[in-house]
Amino acid sequence: MEYKVEAHRIMSISLGKIYNSRVQRGGIKLHKNLLVSLVLRSARQVYLSDYYSGACLNAAQSEREANEWDITDSEREKFPSSTTECDRVESPEEPQQTERPEKEHEHRENDDDLKSDQVDCTSTLQQEQNQNSLDSVANVSSETPPETIKEPKESPSESAVAERDSTPEANGESHQPPKTHVCSNRKRSAEETESGDSPQKRIKVASSDAEGDEEAEEMDTSNVSNLITIFGSSFSGLLSKDGAKPESETEDSGQICCDQMLKNLNPWSTAIVAF
Amino acid sequence: VYVLGRIRDALLCSVAADIISTVEFNSTGELLATGDKGGRVVVFQREQESKNQPHRRGEYNVYSTFQSHEPEFDYLKSLEIEEKINKIRWLPQQNAAYFLLSTNDKTVKLWKISERDKRPEGYNLKDEDGRIRDPATITTLRVPVVRPMDLMVEATPRRVFSNAHTYHINSISVNSDYETFMSTDDLRINLWNLEITNRSFNIVDIKPANMEELTEVITAAEFHPHQCNTFVYSSSKGSIRLCDMRASALCDNHSKFFEEPEDPSNRSFFSEIISSISDVKFSHSGRYLMTRDYLTVKVWDLNMESQPLETYQVHDYLRSKLCSLYENDCIFDKFECVWNGSDSVIMTGSYNNFFRMFDRNTKRDVTLEASRENSKPRAILKPRKVCVGGKRRKDEISVDSLDFSKKILHTAWHPYENIIAVAATNNLYIFQDKVN
Repeated sequence: MEYKVEAHRIMSISLGKIYNSRVQRGGIKLHKNLLVSLVLRSARQVYLSDYYSGACLNAAQSEREANEWDITDSEREKFPSSTTECDRVESPEEPQQTERPEKEHEHRENDDDLKSDQVDCTSTLQQEQNQNSLDSVANVSSETPPETIKEPKESPSESAVAERDSTPEANGESHQPPKTHVCSNRKRSAEETESGDSPQKRIKVASSDAEGDEEAEEMDTSNVSNLITIFGSSFSGLLSKDGAKPESETEDSGQICCDQMLKNLNPWSTAIVAF
Repeated sequence: VYVLGRIRDALLCSVAADIISTVEFNSTGELLATGDKGGRVVVFQREQESKNQPHRRGEYNVYSTFQSHEPEFDYLKSLEIEEKINKIRWLPQQNAAYFLLSTNDKTVKLWKISERDKRPEGYNLKDEDGRIRDPATITTLRVPVVRPMDLMVEATPRRVFSNAHTYHINSISVNSDYETFMSTDDLRINLWNLEITNRSFNIVDIKPANMEELTEVITAAEFHPHQCNTFVYSSSKGSIRLCDMRASALCDNHSKFFEEPEDPSNRSFFSEIISSISDVKFSHSGRYLMTRDYLTVKVWDLNMESQPLETYQVHDYLRSKLCSLYENDCIFDKFECVWNGSDSVIMTGSYNNFFRMFDRNTKRDVTLEASRENSKPRAILKPRKVCVGGKRRKDEISVDSLDFSKKILHTAWHPYENIIAVAATNNLYIFQDKVN
């Protein structure tokens, strides 16, 4: 367990570094950010492999426990993806119905914010990918999460369709997108709420909303697509590297769950699977 | 006879206005250039030997100071371009003037450093201050004469090689043909002719079509010291590629690939970071390569790609501290490494203002410290030792007491003699080995 906490800590630190690199003089340093993203990926692998092997079986129980954790709507808004992530990680097979309305509600609320962000995201996409993706990382970290959820708002159905088309990846990688996402959300929460909540509490909070598999993944994918734009470089590379050296220690049950999740990832998000 | 750890004379201890970011002797060792974070270059010149003051032999004095690069702003990307000098490389001397290349993240400049010790006096149209004379006051004509003046050393920019790099330049290397040089950024290497600034040739491009697939970047590159068609570049994955420019115009396919398989027992979150090569240097002979990664220095034989010839642990006691070093960003420090003139000793820096020397023949090594106390004339540089555990002896320093803000990233070794230059943040130390 200790290394799980350690892995999470490293993930938070890594995201902080990526964010800070945006404001450094001289522009974003590609080399350093690449190294940081590799650390982030390694930490997430460890975090997920341990988390998944234990959590999958306990998912149902922990969710019910976590339901008592009353999080406000605003908090929920801040962690839409973490919700979805945890859903996916913990209970891929649970129903997803309640998730969607909630998310749509969030998105409608943040319409205006999203618009401005859309422009921002679009323009950044046109520029040097790595640099702007890293820029966007900072945006993600600094702004409230709902603002960054551009794609889900626009076309949740599209992303759902896209997911179906995705090709399944190696098991180890399936863990990655959810976890990174959870972490980034936790980071955002840390910045915004400045609460002393432990990361594990957040996970449980998120899992309390644990809903459907499909819905969650749709939102996930969309949010995660943003993260792709944000992180830009080194995703597929990390992906292939993962494929080459699988380090996941997931048990069989975990792998089955992973497979299910993976099938629903769209190709666009497979790049971010590395995370 | 050169013996590690023997008496070191401090020839110079100079305080720079800013953090020193590069140090380089010229090909004769007469000049030593330093670049700093503020874009300035300071050139030191070695004093000529004097019969009157034999003990002052070989001291280095400031010869020229100039502002090489200024901060710039890229309006298209809304990015500030740092003026920090990343690298300086001297050109071989061909006439009375000295030439060096200095680079920041984006632009390489060729500077000419020349002396002026005479000037013409007695102009007709302007007076001695340079003010234009009123033509009405000119009644006679005189011929200007050349008179001696106080020695003035002036630096003028002769070429500016710009707009060729999207990413940050990390290396420059002058070719042995003395006509071309290369500049290297994270993903590309460009070849220039020293005379032509509006055109460069791309010889290596590792940028993937889809940036999402990026897995490694170029960290350093250097031309072979004798073969003008050969160069090497190192990567963030710990590999080195040797390329032959005769093989093809674009050297994406390497001729040789040097990589040591990773030791699985050492695997950690930070394995990839610490295997990233921060510096690569050919030996003077051209037979060997030296690479520096975070914890080790390795010597490679150009004829053996599968593993290094020698591996030296610089500060292995940091292996258990990688997480903290990641947090405080020290793990990203890029240490350089240098050969001595005969390729028998290699040197690299560490923390706490320590630097390490490894004798390849005797397999002995020494840790020395660059500090004020050690810089008094004829001070003996005492070997230092880091205590890695258990009882700490009186003179040892424990790992936890190391000052990680005092790092020696840049060092240089005189091409022939045992004179070393060590940059410790703002301070430049020059030591020589005194042979009795």
